[in-house]
Amino acid sequence: LVLLSNSLYARQPVNKEMVTIKGTVTGEQGDPLPGAVVRLKGGSVGTAASAGGQFTISVPRQSILSVSFTGYLRKEVVIGNEDQSSLIIPMQIDNKGLNEVVVVGYGTQRKSDVTGSIISIKEQTLREVPVANLSQALQGRGAGIDVQKNGGNSKPGAKPKILIRGTRSVNAANDPLFIVDGIPFNGDINDLNPDDVVSVEVLKDASATAIYGSRGANGVILVSTRRGRTGKPVITYSAYTGFVKNMGEYDVMDAQQFTTFKKWALINETPGKYRGLDDPAFYTNGSFSQEEVQGIQTGRNTNWQKLIYKTGMTTNHQLGVTGGSETTQYALSGGYYRETGIYSGQSFERFSVKASVDQQIGKAVKIGLNTLNTYSITNGENANPMGQVLRANPLVSPYDSSGALLNAYVPGTASQVWNPLANFLPGAAVERRKRFGTFTTLYAEVNLARGLKYRFNAGAELRNDVYGNFYASKTTYNQGTLSTSSNQTSITLDYTLENLLLYEKQLGKHKISFTGLYSLQESELQSNSFNNNSILADFLQYYNPQYSSNLAGSGKYEKWDILSYMARLNYNYDEKYLLTLTLRSDGSSRLAPGNKYHVFPSVAAAWNLSQEPFLAKTHAISNLKLRVGYGSVGNTAISPYQTLGALSPVTYNYGSTNVTGAYPTNVPNPALTWEYTATLNAGIDIGLWDNRVTGLVEVYQQQTRSLLLPQTLPPTSGIPNAILTNVGKTSNKGIELQLSTVNIRQPGNGFSWTTDLNVFINRGKITQLANGVTRDINNNWFVGYPIGVIYDYKKEGIWQNTKEDSLTARAYKQTVTHPGSVIGQIRLADTNGDSLINADDRIILGSNQPEWEGGITNRFTFKGFDFTIVAFVRMGGTIVSKMHQSSSFINTYQSNYNNLDVEYWTPGSGQNFYPKPNHANTNTPNSSLLSYFDGSYLKIRSLSLGYNLSPTMVKRMKVDALRIYATAQNPFILFSPYRNRYKGIDPETAMGSGSGTNNQGALNVDTPGTWSMIFGLNLSL
Amino acid sequence: CKDKLVEEPRSVLTPEFFSTAQGFEAGLNAAYAGTRWIWGPQDYYNLTVCGTDEFKRGVDGSSDLNTYSSNYTPSNTNVGNVWKYCYTYINTCNGLIDNAPVITGMDSVLKKRMVGEARFLRANYYFILVQSWGDVTLNKSFQNTPTTSATRDPMASVYDFIIEDLTAAITALPPGPLSAGVQPGRATAAAATHLLAKVYLTRAGSAAKEADDYKNACTTAATLINNSASSGIGLLPDFGKVFQEGNEGNMEVLWSVQHTSNLAYNGSPKQDNRDADNLLCHLWVPQYENQPGMQRDVFYGRPYIRAIPTRWLTDTVFAERVNDTRYNKTFQTTWICNARKLIPNWPDPLPPGAPANAQPGKPRFGPGDTAIYMPGYEVPDAQIKATPYQVITPNRYAPTLAPTVTKYFDTKRSDMNAPSIRPIIVYRLADTYLVAAEAAFMDGRPGDALPFINAVRRRAAYPTGNPQAMEVQASDLSLDFILDERSRELCGELTRWQDLVRTGQLLKRVRLHNTDAQKNIQEKHTLRPIPQGQIDATTTGPQYPQNPLW
Repeated sequence: LVLLSNSLYARQPVNKEMVTIKGTVTGEQGDPLPGAVVRLKGGSVGTAASAGGQFTISVPRQSILSVSFTGYLRKEVVIGNEDQSSLIIPMQIDNKGLNEVVVVGYGTQRKSDVTGSIISIKEQTLREVPVANLSQALQGRGAGIDVQKNGGNSKPGAKPKILIRGTRSVNAANDPLFIVDGIPFNGDINDLNPDDVVSVEVLKDASATAIYGSRGANGVILVSTRRGRTGKPVITYSAYTGFVKNMGEYDVMDAQQFTTFKKWALINETPGKYRGLDDPAFYTNGSFSQEEVQGIQTGRNTNWQKLIYKTGMTTNHQLGVTGGSETTQYALSGGYYRETGIYSGQSFERFSVKASVDQQIGKAVKIGLNTLNTYSITNGENANPMGQVLRANPLVSPYDSSGALLNAYVPGTASQVWNPLANFLPGAAVERRKRFGTFTTLYAEVNLARGLKYRFNAGAELRNDVYGNFYASKTTYNQGTLSTSSNQTSITLDYTLENLLLYEKQLGKHKISFTGLYSLQESELQSNSFNNNSILADFLQYYNPQYSSNLAGSGKYEKWDILSYMARLNYNYDEKYLLTLTLRSDGSSRLAPGNKYHVFPSVAAAWNLSQEPFLAKTHAISNLKLRVGYGSVGNTAISPYQTLGALSPVTYNYGSTNVTGAYPTNVPNPALTWEYTATLNAGIDIGLWDNRVTGLVEVYQQQTRSLLLPQTLPPTSGIPNAILTNVGKTSNKGIELQLSTVNIRQPGNGFSWTTDLNVFINRGKITQLANGVTRDINNNWFVGYPIGVIYDYKKEGIWQNTKEDSLTARAYKQTVTHPGSVIGQIRLADTNGDSLINADDRIILGSNQPEWEGGITNRFTFKGFDFTIVAFVRMGGTIVSKMHQSSSFINTYQSNYNNLDVEYWTPGSGQNFYPKPNHANTNTPNSSLLSYFDGSYLKIRSLSLGYNLSPTMVKRMKVDALRIYATAQNPFILFSPYRNRYKGIDPETAMGSGSGTNNQGALNVDTPGTWSMIFGLNLSL
Repeated sequence: CKDKLVEEPRSVLTPEFFSTAQGFEAGLNAAYAGTRWIWGPQDYYNLTVCGTDEFKRGVDGSSDLNTYSSNYTPSNTNVGNVWKYCYTYINTCNGLIDNAPVITGMDSVLKKRMVGEARFLRANYYFILVQSWGDVTLNKSFQNTPTTSATRDPMASVYDFIIEDLTAAITALPPGPLSAGVQPGRATAAAATHLLAKVYLTRAGSAAKEADDYKNACTTAATLINNSASSGIGLLPDFGKVFQEGNEGNMEVLWSVQHTSNLAYNGSPKQDNRDADNLLCHLWVPQYENQPGMQRDVFYGRPYIRAIPTRWLTDTVFAERVNDTRYNKTFQTTWICNARKLIPNWPDPLPPGAPANAQPGKPRFGPGDTAIYMPGYEVPDAQIKATPYQVITPNRYAPTLAPTVTKYFDTKRSDMNAPSIRPIIVYRLADTYLVAAEAAFMDGRPGDALPFINAVRRRAAYPTGNPQAMEVQASDLSLDFILDERSRELCGELTRWQDLVRTGQLLKRVRLHNTDAQKNIQEKHTLRPIPQGQIDATTTGPQYPQNPLW
């Protein structure tokens, strides 16, 4: 295609009547405007400016060039009789922003015509923070978009969780709907190369999302990838590389601290057995292992974390070419991304190829195709040595006396911690996911009559995913037991077929447009897996189970369909009064007969006040629009076959006869229906002083009914699994503010400073549960409170060994004599004052819902330099730090293995926060109460310094444009009580999914948070 | 296009499957598989072995149930798990029993037998519930809709339902485990009869007692014993062979929960000592591996050490060790050195009385020699110093190291940390004898109890003791004696806590014999607390009532 279009230009006839104009299209400050379209007025000749803003065009003498660029006022330039080699065409920003176009569901709209709540994130913003996937790129970039690391996961290829305007139901499948180039995208966010994306629109309110009907309730994210442009081929190359490091180490005890801690645990196990900390019996009675004693004698102090962490690397390359003629436009690109983790065995690698073609056929028909193809390899997505690393005994060495790696239990860990370094021996632990995916969309558009268009959209997504793991016998996974492997393959085909009818008509000041749709979506998944153990040779890994024993397998088949009809009417009177009416009807295979169909209506209106005569002349107010909308959307996060009930398989044997059984674990629920969310949204868009300040304020209220959540039934129901039910209603209300300001703007290449700010507050709560229930403790739902609250005992401190505390404890029927004495343990509050401490004393301690969140981006430019700071803040909300709970085994207070370095209680110490160590207790009771922390933080997401080479230097290098930059990602957490006071590393975590306490904001004991430093360049030819 | 909206599942089975012959069989397999969640994992072990007169706290875990401290609450996971497993598999049994009439294409004899098996299993699950919690929810039929309410039914109706099930099962099932065509682990009339006798005996000791319960218990047990020859069952001559590895299908066994060396069918998929694995091989194993000359191996097992015997059990109940061979066949007291590790050297000069081959400055022992020995009585310090190996006398028993129950030892596990592949003997004929004896005694007929109890005692002398010396007279019998005899015969067999509750002796005996729990145990501990999860999840209807004082 490149050659084709080049030759196309080469064949243009040389005509003496023609002049050749070479020039540069610039912005108000002389900055180049790549992609600006330069065409002959009234003719068919045209070109697009290169990345350096340069263009070359041959036009007849005495003609007029028409130059246009999104966001700028169209400009016309008169051409004389001479060739020109350095014509500068400065463009003026269109302050009214009237012609800026945004993508909406099933089409595009001028921004001024939009009636719903839409956030538009442009390419520049997306590029500011180099990221592995699009989700990461959205953090802090728009009001109401809450992007948090899932479970605090910082591994290569980790996918953060996106919540738009708070929580309704929180299922894994309940993320916002992604629409890529117009077609629903069901794949993994890692399957999209963020470099191919040129804009993202986030649809937040029902009037904007209602058009997606049953799938729109959690918000819709519209992703547009790069398309070709008329003009000579523009080749772009961008690359970066850098390193990744952990933000810190988990604070566990060192050798000396651990020795004292273990002694206290032994003393508390059997009071009176030891004379004191100096008792030599500790070292002779087997309580300390031989290796520990040796470690104490030689002053050994092993920092296991130091042995694990390494510096990760991140690399990205993207090569692209775009171009086209009047009738054919194309865009091609290839990308490569690789990131390695902060310990061995973790990496994410992606190869991607994209191609798009748009072709005009005759006057009436246009067709186009876009294909996105990725192949990715993820290594070690579940690798997590931290549980073993943090518990490994600091008194002992990871190596034996000969210096070889000790491939066994770490001495002094009660034979529970296998040397974590063994996992990193070549081939010992292999975990790999290979994924191939192709997402292809095509359209055909036919102009049937004036204003009437028919459009056919089709999209198919085919994904193949192969996952395998192998763990040798001598690893932390198997701890000397049989080696194990498993392999899972799956293939998914999703397709969408759409028939659209579009009509536009203008009658005087009345403008009407209509969109009609009939569509079918289908998804089919098949997956199979096997697992086995005792693999004959380690190098066979997971490839052939025939060389192993105890083969077992499972499989899955799922298919669903949605049939839809949709109509939308837009009405515009005199650019002042706007009205949008939408109606969509969806039928779903996933619901029982009688419940399959539902209709989703919406209505929205807007008033462009700035178009009114009384404001049109006001200089201060350049734009003012009021919007209000109401609509209903659904959520189909119901897996297929959920209405039918299910039996689970189980194995058994009668002597040598092995059998498989099946027993009921899910009940049929034919009444199951979609979750519906009705949203009322009102907003003001404002632009002041020639749009030097632009912004919006939005308020909304969402009412969700038939809330879909997994519900755990009482055990007496006989159904052990949580079942998906429509449990009740929730409401979310909130206020969002977005502001963009040009703080300083010096003419030319001078200093400029701009700021984008967003702040948002969401308050969600459950307003009703089924059957008039007001609290469902097991499922963690309470009317009047958000989903995901923390309902537990209140910690009052630690029971002290004072007479007073002993008396009080005894009065509360607490055991105060050994064994099982509560003295030194967590003291629970008698919150209801009934002089008993029991389950009735549990209260709601908090929730992960933040008080408010916000993001701020500051951009500074001076000469060729640019400097950008992106920050994100999340204030309030309680997180659950799993490492502080005994169940993580890192804070057991048992001293069977290493412990978090906490100031544990000892008799007389008065320590009132952390309990006593006790060698006889696997867990310290009520340790969940040690894990609730304020999750507030202020984080610098990125600091980026870039330099655009000056036009003269660029010219000397024979390129169009060149930018070099350095970016520090996540360099600082400026404020975080969890990090600063409670040994946390990174408080960022998303709300979990599922029933019970699974839906809290939990921070797992896993790869610690990371920061990275990246160096990159963007080049165009 | 409308056809697109019709669902056709291909990788899930739905509850309708239970109404087919194939589904019935699969459901029954699952109902059996459910028993692996009860007998084998730690939960039920903790509810039967820990906190009794026989066993007290071992160093690792289970501390709350061992000590009855205030940390033992309705949130205890062991308590909650057993409750949940019972109700899950009761519902499976209900689904089978309810669907049986509509199933076609199935041999009617086979169908009757399989319904009998389901009723036997259901009776087992309900018996566990009623013994542990008293009044419990009685689901008589299949629950196939989401339910969020529940009520407790009187104990009496639960017992009636269990007796009804067992009575029906006895007539439907083949006579005994060794009868022709009976696969290992299948329910039989013998097992159902034994259980029925025990149910009568247990009800007799409860608030739901009926006047003729002791009589019925005795008659039912006696019937089984008297007809044992025709059902192919009987006491083995040697107590030691009953729990011999590989001999779990012996003629004394009435019913066992199955496990297999085919690991894919053995319990948890990863054989990681979770879920439905048989952990009984680990739970008494002490921390021998920290001792001189010892390291962990498959033979000695994985030290979970949840409980150690009380001094009363080892010193008093098992005081007689000459004619009664059972102590040595139940407990491990010797460990043979398997590692050159930490082995101490003889001092110079040698202690008086040191063996002839002892050399100053040389190791006291080596691989293949005795490393640890527990003589069961106190030994003078001088003698200990002169003994090459470690001598642990009763005064030195510790939560980390004490005599170890060997009934579940498994040397054929896939490795030293893996769960057991041995079937678990749940009911055996010696227990039937002791049930008959207890029932007759409680019915006021000590004379009738004698033959049963003496049969068990005589057998205990085999092969070295004098059987006649083991016999007791009617005047020797008392409830205490019967309970002590149960300890000698059955200790560690997941029945003690229930035995003590049934006989009303839990508080008294724990206070006398369990030094860890004696200060803490209270009246409320004779019932398990209703799991907090049950109370919290019963969101509609009346609140689910907790047991008194919890």
